[in-house]
Order: sequence, then structure tokens, then C-alpha cells
Amino acid sequence: MTARRYVDVFESYNRFMEGNKVSEKEWDYDIIPTIASKMKKRYELDFGSTIIPEDQDLVDRLFVAGVDMLITAGIYNINTGTSMPITEDEVYEGLKMAPKKLNLGKGKDSVECSPRRGNSINKPIIEGGPTGAPVSEDIYAIVIESYAQEPVVDTIVSGVLESVKGHPAVKNTPWEIRATLAELNYVHNALYEAGRPGMAI
Amino acid sequence: MKVDMAMMDAVAAWHMAGDSILIEQMPIFGGYVGTVEEAAICDVATTIASFALFNADVHLGGPIHVRWGTTTNRESLQIAAHTARALDTNTDLLLGNQYYVMSGPCTQMNLLETAAQAIVDTASGRELLSGVASAKGVQKDKVTAMESRMMGEASMAACGMDISDANEIVNNILKRYEPLYSNPPAGKTFQQCYDIENIAPTQEYLRIYDRALNTLSNCGIDF
Repeated sequence: MTARRYVDVFESYNRFMEGNKVSEKEWDYDIIPTIASKMKKRYELDFGSTIIPEDQDLVDRLFVAGVDMLITAGIYNINTGTSMPITEDEVYEGLKMAPKKLNLGKGKDSVECSPRRGNSINKPIIEGGPTGAPVSEDIYAIVIESYAQEPVVDTIVSGVLESVKGHPAVKNTPWEIRATLAELNYVHNALYEAGRPGMAI
Repeated sequence: MKVDMAMMDAVAAWHMAGDSILIEQMPIFGGYVGTVEEAAICDVATTIASFALFNADVHLGGPIHVRWGTTTNRESLQIAAHTARALDTNTDLLLGNQYYVMSGPCTQMNLLETAAQAIVDTASGRELLSGVASAKGVQKDKVTAMESRMMGEASMAACGMDISDANEIVNNILKRYEPLYSNPPAGKTFQQCYDIENIAPTQEYLRIYDRALNTLSNCGIDF
């Protein structure tokens, strides 16, 4: 049936609140493995030894299998202990809402992220950085600057500031918040020092 | 295939503020789902959910091998490539991938792992490459910008390449580093790899980088 409207994060929350009660253990050990196995058989998926697929029919079947997986299983919320349903029409309606391109960063340091559609001659956005790896506070800004000064790097992905003012940035504590803000400060300063203040973070 | 309320609260705030939202999700191969095909099915489903249910503008993946803890192993590359091709050829979604490599900085293995994934991600149509977390991203200060340089340069070299050629090159590179899984080189910290005062890589790292370029040339790709 045609979707009434696309589903957003607020409608998702409403559906979780009214969703099917399922234990996380049942979701992880029974529901997901069982449905994934069923989808593999239904769509006759066998990757063989090929790393990058060259068979378009195979990747089309994988796409449909993924959609079928989503509408059959739904998505699970570990806090509500429920799964939310979504219909096939709502999936496609939601995909229409996804942006076709994005501008990342500001001014002359900004870059456009747009669909490459296959292995285009246009290069992907290169997001350089520690990618969540832990970095010492005393070298944090220098490390980020070293990425920002690489010509091939378009945007920055930061690392985890290991401590702030000598205090461990422990999760769910005030120091975590302070570390996050300090991290942003270090990154902005590093981009300025590298002469690329408008790079996206 | 799971979310929590903290993620949904953050998305709600960013969505209403008009921010660009990048949703990250890293499927695990060899855990709850045991085959590369099943992991890819879940990867496609969760990527679609990021856009269709949770207002994502860009999706950042990164299939992780339950034993190796990396994105550069053969199975993770295969899952990432199939997922990307399935989504790239059927939608206009903006897709990224993350880099978690086994070895540490200032080693040839690290640069070969990075190059192999960059070729796979580029040839399979991804729009954004995000890395590199060397030494699996868990050891303090074991990251440098030289790994990102390799990620970018390998990607640029692979742009427009025929997929069968890319597969042959990636297989050649994998054969060089897969035998090292039992004892991967630990590598060095940022402080040991860079002249901190001038923020420049050491001569040792530049020599290793050049050696990796020669090896990659022998595998079939030149920068």
C-alpha cells in the first residue's frame, strides 16, 4: 500500500513505544540469524571468491534481500525492548528523502559529496584522521594538524581525546562532556594552524 | 539491526537543527550472522534504515571481522564491496566506509592494508573514505596522517578502474599481508613517526612509504 508519509526519527520512536516486545537475546540469537539465513536462500545469494561483485543481477538480488530483511525483521531498540515495523512503501518513501548531494565545510575549504554512480573518475571524499583511536592530550592538536595539511585530505574525522586536563574522559561523566568540547576546540585550532579553517569535521 | 535511545535523541536534535547527519554502523562478520552473504544482507538493511527511519544524510559503514577486528581482511572487504555495489546501483544514497587496520603505523603491512581497502571502496562506488585507525584503533597514539595519505592516493589511482582489474590488484595485495596475520608488525606511535616541531614524517616513514608504493606497483597499481 502507498505510504501515508515518510518515517522520521520521531515516528520511529512512536513505533518503538507500540512495538513488539522481544528480548535482546532472542533478537540477536534467533530472529536476526534466522531471517538473514532465510533471505540468503530466498534470493540465492552466493558471493563465491569475488571481492568486488561484477554480476549486476547478484547485487540487485542483494539489494532486494536487504529491503526484505528490513521489512521482515524491523529494527530493535535496546532501551524499549521492542522492534518497530516498517512497510516496503515506507522504505522507498524514506529513501526519497535522502539528500542527493551534500556540501561539507565552509568557504574555499568546502567539498561537495555527491553520488559517484559506480567507479567514476571523480574521487571520493577523503576524510582523514584518527577515526576514533585514542590520542594523548599533549599532541592532540598537532596530530589533527598533520592530517589537515595533507593535500589529499578533504575533511577531518577526529580521534578520542584520552584525557582532559589530566583527567580520564570517562563515559557518562562531566569529564566526557568537557573532553568533547576540548576536542572540538583542538580540532578547530588545528585547522586554523594548517590554513584550512573551513574544513568539515 | 539495533539502535538505542541515546542515538535517537542525538539524531532528533541534529535533525531539528538542520545539521548534516552521518550515521555510523559497523556490522560484525562471524558473530550473530555467520556468512558473508548474511552479513551483507544485514548491512544493506541497516544502511537503508539509517536513511529511511533515522534521517541520515550520509552512512558510514565498516564490516568488522569477529576474529581479526579489522575492516581490511578478505571477508570484510567482500561484504563492504557487495553492500556498496547493491546500494550504489539501486539508489543515490551517499555511502562511506571506515578503516580499521591490523598493523601499526610506519610499517609496509599497514600501508598495503589501507591501499587494498581504498581500492575496494573506490571501485565499488563509495562516496567517502574515513580513516585510518591503525593498530585496530585501540592503541594510544598509534595513528598518523601518512596512512590517510595512502588511503587518498590509492583511491585516486583506483578511480575509473575496471572492476575486474581492481579485483586482480586487491587479490595481489591481500596475498602480501594475509600471511602476517599471526604476527602483525606493531609499528610506532605518532611521536616516533613525526618530527613534532615541524609536523613532518620522519625519513624512516618516507622510505617505508616509498617501499610500499613499489610493492603496490608490483601488484598492478601505480600512483
